Amino acid sequence: MNEKILVVDDEEGIRLLYKEELMDEGLDVHLAASGEEALAKLEKDKFDLVVLDIKMPGMDGIEVLRRIKEKWKNLPVILSTAYHHYKQEFGTWASDAYVVKSSDLKELKTTIKDILNTGKR
Amino acid sequence: MGYDILVKVIELTDSEEALEKRLEGVARLLSGSFAFDQCAIYLFDQDKKILNLAVTAGDKRSAGGGCQKAYKENEGFPGLAIKKGRPVFASRSKPAKGLWQKVPDKGANGFATIACCPIKDDLLYGVLYLKNKREKTLSPIQKKLFSVIALQLATAIKHYEYIVNLTDANTRMKDMQARLVHAEKLLALGEMAATLAHEIRNPLMSIGGFAKRLHQQTILDPSHVIYVERIVKEVERLEKLMDGIVHFSSKSGYEFLSEDINKIMEEVIQFFEDDFRRNRIDVIKDLSLDMPMVKVDRQQVKLAFNNLMANAIQAMGDGGTLTIKTRHKDKWIVTEVSDTGGGIAPEIMGNIFNPFYTTKETGTGLGLAITHSIITNHKGIIEVNNNMGIGVTFTIKLPVAITGKLLTGLKRRTL
Repeated sequence: MNEKILVVDDEEGIRLLYKEELMDEGLDVHLAASGEEALAKLEKDKFDLVVLDIKMPGMDGIEVLRRIKEKWKNLPVILSTAYHHYKQEFGTWASDAYVVKSSDLKELKTTIKDILNTGKR
Repeated sequence: MGYDILVKVIELTDSEEALEKRLEGVARLLSGSFAFDQCAIYLFDQDKKILNLAVTAGDKRSAGGGCQKAYKENEGFPGLAIKKGRPVFASRSKPAKGLWQKVPDKGANGFATIACCPIKDDLLYGVLYLKNKREKTLSPIQKKLFSVIALQLATAIKHYEYIVNLTDANTRMKDMQARLVHAEKLLALGEMAATLAHEIRNPLMSIGGFAKRLHQQTILDPSHVIYVERIVKEVERLEKLMDGIVHFSSKSGYEFLSEDINKIMEEVIQFFEDDFRRNRIDVIKDLSLDMPMVKVDRQQVKLAFNNLMANAIQAMGDGGTLTIKTRHKDKWIVTEVSDTGGGIAPEIMGNIFNPFYTTKETGTGLGLAITHSIITNHKGIIEVNNNMGIGVTFTIKLPVAITGKLLTGLKRRTL
């Protein structure tokens, strides 16, 4: 069975790119355009991993991360953002990994694979 | 007579000329007007407590041989004048209280009369020293005038020192202001970057990401492959620029750990290996074995050196030699990156660390600005030694990490 991952990003282009690229990696990709939508999807379905943008209108990624870790402690979350410097911020520590957005998705893909493999072991 | 000399002295001392020129004018005037063979002006060095010969006028023969270059503050007639705080007059044949014999002064050898007056107000500035080979008596008015002239010289020297100090302070202030402007530019840049980074990065990522997909997956016309490759490359360039800009908005995010600078340099050199080969650049590694640890953010310092390397490689498009040197000097880890790329044009030297300043067609103008800001954030120093026509040496000094040094010491002992 393919691993089910949820991509949360407010930009349509990014969501589409993630979907196509990650589907090619053999993942079952689901999308959410906001923090609120993401939490709603997580309530309904069981996911193996979440890729979460930090800067979003409405509920931001850090708040979404906090709520996810409250409810689904073991669900891995990768934060993905345009800023390097969120890495040092307290609110992001709960995430399992941190990836800086780039048109080169290599880093994101390796990170996803690493986390999913660790989970299996 | 008399008073017109005073007017002339005031004119000479008030001129716009360099101090030495003014003093020379006065010395010449005095040796002529008082009919003395020689007039010398000594200036007092406040730190070393010594009188140094500044100018002489009059009899050139005796001016050369008979003028002592310097006097200690208690030596000879100048010393006596300082001690008394008023003019001293002495002559060989009419020994006023035996002065001529009592005061040893080689400078007075061969002369018959001297007049020596301290140049001072609250502070001592120097000594005015007149000598004559024949016996000569100064009238009370001339003696008085002599003191007044010395006072005028004191005022002139004091003003000159004020101006020098003021100019110094002014230069320092201008320097500080330039730095402030630089810092403000960076701050403004950081604020703008924070707002822009997200907005620009996301669409860039879409463009670049989909272009890559096109490139990898679609069967394209060969000419279209070139177009798509161009899109991918340009996006990478813009993303690099965004990285650079965002860098300025994240000053706080440094993680300082004890690192081995040689290891960092090896990694940086390795990163550029292909470029060195392609550009026929010889790399000379002169890494000192005795390097203490340095507390740095590894990624940031690597970025700082990467930028220096990238510049050096670009400067040596037709091949050359890159020398990387590491040394431990006192409290500093000193790293030098030298190229043989012909150097930096003097007229742009003042701008090389300014963000967005570039002379390259595809440059972002952020490379050296980022390097500068990273090194400054490490409390380090960056220096440029430009050898026009030959090449440039960038010297980076980073403070030695005390704890790191102890750690390496321990490691060595246990090994």
